[in-house]
Amino acid sequence: MKLESHAPGGPIETRWSRHKNQIKLVNPANKRKYDIIVVGTGLAGGSAAASLAELGYNVKAFCIQDSPRRAHSIAAQGGINAAKNYPNDGDSVWRLFYDTVKGGDFRARESNVYRLAEISTAIIDHCVAQGIPFARDYGGLLANRSFGGAQVSRTFYARGQTGQQLLLCCYQGMMRQVAAGKVTMFPRREMLDLVIVDGKARGIVARNLVTGELERHAGHAVVLATGGYGNVFYLSTNAMASNVTAAWRCHKRGALFANPCYTQIHPTCIPVSGGHQSKLTLMSESLRNDGRVWVPKKQGDTRAAADIPEDERDYYLERKYPSFGNLVPRDVASRNAKQVCDEGRGVGATGLAVYLDFRDAIQRDGRATIERKYGNLFAMYEKITADDPYTTPMMIYPAIHYTMGGLWVDYNLMSTIPGLFVLGEANFSDHGANRLGASALMQGLADGYFVIPYTIGGYLAGTALPQVSLEHAAFKDAESGAKEQTRRLLAIQGRRTVDDIHRALGRLLWDNCGMGRNDQGLQEVLQKVPELRDEFWKNALVPGGADDFNQSLEKAGRVADFLEFAGLMAKDALTRRESCGGHFNEAFQTEENEALRDDENFCHVAAWEYKGPDAEPERHVEPLVFENVTLAQRSYK
Amino acid sequence: MATINLTLKVWRQKGQKDKGRLETLPAPGISTDMSFLEMLDVVNERLTLEGKEPVAFDHDCREGICGMCGAMVNGLAHGPERGTTLCQLHMRHFRDGDTLMIEPWRARAFKVVKDLVVDRSAFDKIIAAGGYVSASTGGAQDANAIPVPMETAEEAMDAAQCIGCGACVASCPNASAMLFMSAKVSHLALMPQGRPEAARRVLAMLRAADACGFGNCSNERECEAKCPKEIKITHIARMNREYMKAVFGSARE
Amino acid sequence: MLWVLRAFSSSVGKKFLMAATGLGFCSFLAAHLAGNLTVYWGFDAFNSYAEHLHALDPLVKFAELGLLTMALIHIATGLTLFYQNWTSRPVRCQVKRAAGGRTLFSATMPYTGLLILAFVALHLITFKFAKGAEETVSQLASSVFANPLYVGIYTVGMLVVGSHVAHGLWSAFQTLGLSHPKYTPAVEKLSLLFGLVVALGFGSLPFFIVLMS
Repeated sequence: MKLESHAPGGPIETRWSRHKNQIKLVNPANKRKYDIIVVGTGLAGGSAAASLAELGYNVKAFCIQDSPRRAHSIAAQGGINAAKNYPNDGDSVWRLFYDTVKGGDFRARESNVYRLAEISTAIIDHCVAQGIPFARDYGGLLANRSFGGAQVSRTFYARGQTGQQLLLCCYQGMMRQVAAGKVTMFPRREMLDLVIVDGKARGIVARNLVTGELERHAGHAVVLATGGYGNVFYLSTNAMASNVTAAWRCHKRGALFANPCYTQIHPTCIPVSGGHQSKLTLMSESLRNDGRVWVPKKQGDTRAAADIPEDERDYYLERKYPSFGNLVPRDVASRNAKQVCDEGRGVGATGLAVYLDFRDAIQRDGRATIERKYGNLFAMYEKITADDPYTTPMMIYPAIHYTMGGLWVDYNLMSTIPGLFVLGEANFSDHGANRLGASALMQGLADGYFVIPYTIGGYLAGTALPQVSLEHAAFKDAESGAKEQTRRLLAIQGRRTVDDIHRALGRLLWDNCGMGRNDQGLQEVLQKVPELRDEFWKNALVPGGADDFNQSLEKAGRVADFLEFAGLMAKDALTRRESCGGHFNEAFQTEENEALRDDENFCHVAAWEYKGPDAEPERHVEPLVFENVTLAQRSYK
Repeated sequence: MATINLTLKVWRQKGQKDKGRLETLPAPGISTDMSFLEMLDVVNERLTLEGKEPVAFDHDCREGICGMCGAMVNGLAHGPERGTTLCQLHMRHFRDGDTLMIEPWRARAFKVVKDLVVDRSAFDKIIAAGGYVSASTGGAQDANAIPVPMETAEEAMDAAQCIGCGACVASCPNASAMLFMSAKVSHLALMPQGRPEAARRVLAMLRAADACGFGNCSNERECEAKCPKEIKITHIARMNREYMKAVFGSARE
Repeated sequence: MLWVLRAFSSSVGKKFLMAATGLGFCSFLAAHLAGNLTVYWGFDAFNSYAEHLHALDPLVKFAELGLLTMALIHIATGLTLFYQNWTSRPVRCQVKRAAGGRTLFSATMPYTGLLILAFVALHLITFKFAKGAEETVSQLASSVFANPLYVGIYTVGMLVVGSHVAHGLWSAFQTLGLSHPKYTPAVEKLSLLFGLVVALGFGSLPFFIVLMS
């Protein structure tokens, strides 16, 4: 299979404009004849649903929560990047593009990233027009802050709740269309299968989570915006319901899965406190603007932070990376934290934590300033840990946060299944092997507000799409498959809870396919995942029935898919014989312990094709061509 | 790590039309580092292994921002702490031997779906009635074209951070949704971008809320005391002003 | 004019009616109290105040009509709100605790309101409609308060009124949207002070009159 990106050639600055000019258009009067299914209502899905409905399409939107306002985009704290250059510090579309490509360790598609940087400014304009109360300076103009991996201030924010404000803005835009009759909202629905008719995505089968009923929904195109797969690790900063199911079912129907091994570990999370822990809480990366990361110089130093004198502290990020200091990209900050903890210099009860200290910032700017910038984050930290970050340094440790891999899409955001578009974290497209801070929000909204409204029209206008009946064999087949899976899950009646097995899977992956990877560990994952899968299907215990509100059943279905997906992730990691960004194979590192890429052999996207439950997946390659940036060893020194 | 033993009295209700009852469940050996929801996870794991059905409860982000979780704990929405969602309530605030009464949000407008899960779609209806700025994608001017005083943006943000959890309704003696509604009205009324539709918005949202069957505000401030985002009733006052402005100062009815 | 009816039948509209009429009653209470307090300057002063007041008869009639209208609105709206609020939660919590927002005054508003209604009826019967043509107001007051039962009822009544306005006054400001961090704390304190003044001012009268008689 040849993976054709459909990205236009020529000067990168005009690629998107030229592409837009050539896309076929759907006549306004005809738009109302098209039904678009949008699965997931986070930033990407919500903005897509709102924008498509504004254009006149009939949108059916699905979410697993009780309301689209709950999507996990809401938890993004720090901000959203845009190349506005309001602070006059030399930012430009080009610089944002370059930073993103470099931050992604040169494993993203240039055309997509440039488009993202170009659109970024329109996103801010739109969000302000929607009434988002972004932070402002005394003069009333928008304020910016800096973020990891950049040397300019280009991040717009609304306290530590930027994701919330952006999501609620999408949600409101969507609800406006619900009132207008252009969006039909289906909350508490979980997509269980994709329906393909004549080779094109034409519908979905979804389970009504309240009644248990399986529903068939037909449309002319399906837009998938179901987020990432970070919860495969059991403990992550993702919401409890975040899952890979929708994407995985599409993969099994023929959509290629790209770069599943690219997972991002976020350096500033609250450390794990015990086995009961159900999820990890992120502290915004923006904290690294003012907080200083350090550990004791001495191994096994058990003194309280305040008792450790200045000259016995190792501000290791500032020491190793003098120009970026505490603002190195996430993967670099995470690996360094792991390294100092591995050296036995970690702090806290478990030794798996480093300090993030605000003492100097409070002395310099005063407590009030720090409180205004980070008050809600400090309060959240204190609630969870019962420590006051104004007086004692925070303790942080890296945790799984975001997944750069996802379903493969072309420049139009269409997957390898015609009519199946994939947006936001669910696709693989813009962040390469590592995502910079404050760019997930940017990508989700770029895809939903400013890319899909154009590209979906091109597909619809240029494709013959006869009406399909809900009685079509493909719908029946998908529904009976979903029904059968539910029946099987409830019939296992074993002795281990689903959570217990999920925890075992998470531990296995975190230890062997997490921050640091090696061949031996990855082999172990490949050997143990099938065992765990067998254990699940023989010994899991799923209480309750199929025709009811059954959260245990929901969870079991998701874990069943994680157990299949985990194998692919490890296989992808093992096959990529290099280190890049979030994928760090210990065998491939520079003398300074940085990721060592192999541009000769691995400057490509690896996209996997599903070949059946017992067959090996097939690896396809989309070469990455860099015409505008020079591939270089990333350096943040 | 300290552990405590608790007794839970949890509301169990199979479905919307079924009759509910309180069930007593022991919760021994609870680590004080757990969150309230993690404590429920532990209880549910045990129920599952005993072949019983676990307690259904809504939850998602578990970091206090999605607004999905919530229950009455000993008669208080989201439990005893101020400015805290149930997922951010930690067990260190309880003592060994405590009995915890756990019930769903109670309001005519919030029907019980199952156990502690309620249907809050009325909130979506209120927002759909007018809780937005009708600015379609693509037509915006430059983001810095209209300066907004810092204080105004901050005050709007105070209101905008509402997470729509429903604790205001649950803790209001009258099951009124005024705090929720006013948070959105106030946020958008403060921002210059929200002004053109201010009159239409407040009239339509209030009509929608009244139709959903929420009670009336009697200024008892229970909502403010239990709001996990500590949204103030000054926003209700602003909404009331906006309402009168709309009634007497606009062409709308 | 249908829009006016619609505007005031919404939940905020009804609260506006309560607040506006409530503020009207607060002004009435203030005026009534000021007049009654003349008794502390002696019965003559008290009687002369009453005579001067009644000399303004057409105005008084007009005011009475206004008070009656306000009372009808306040009572009818109050009862509607009470009923609606009661039915907005058909299944109640097994355990419900106050979170620290409500006070004894705010929690008892419907009940103190109903008690005030009963008291006003009795008050009108004993003072307004029972007054003989030649009787001075001080004579009437002395004879009514000669009955210790009535002193008791009157005193309790005034405590109830004080409690009602202690919440009602600031609550009316809040409902009318008169809220600002600069003055709202003062309004809240003023409201409590007004409740106290009403309860003490009116409540002390029977004892003083009994002593003087």
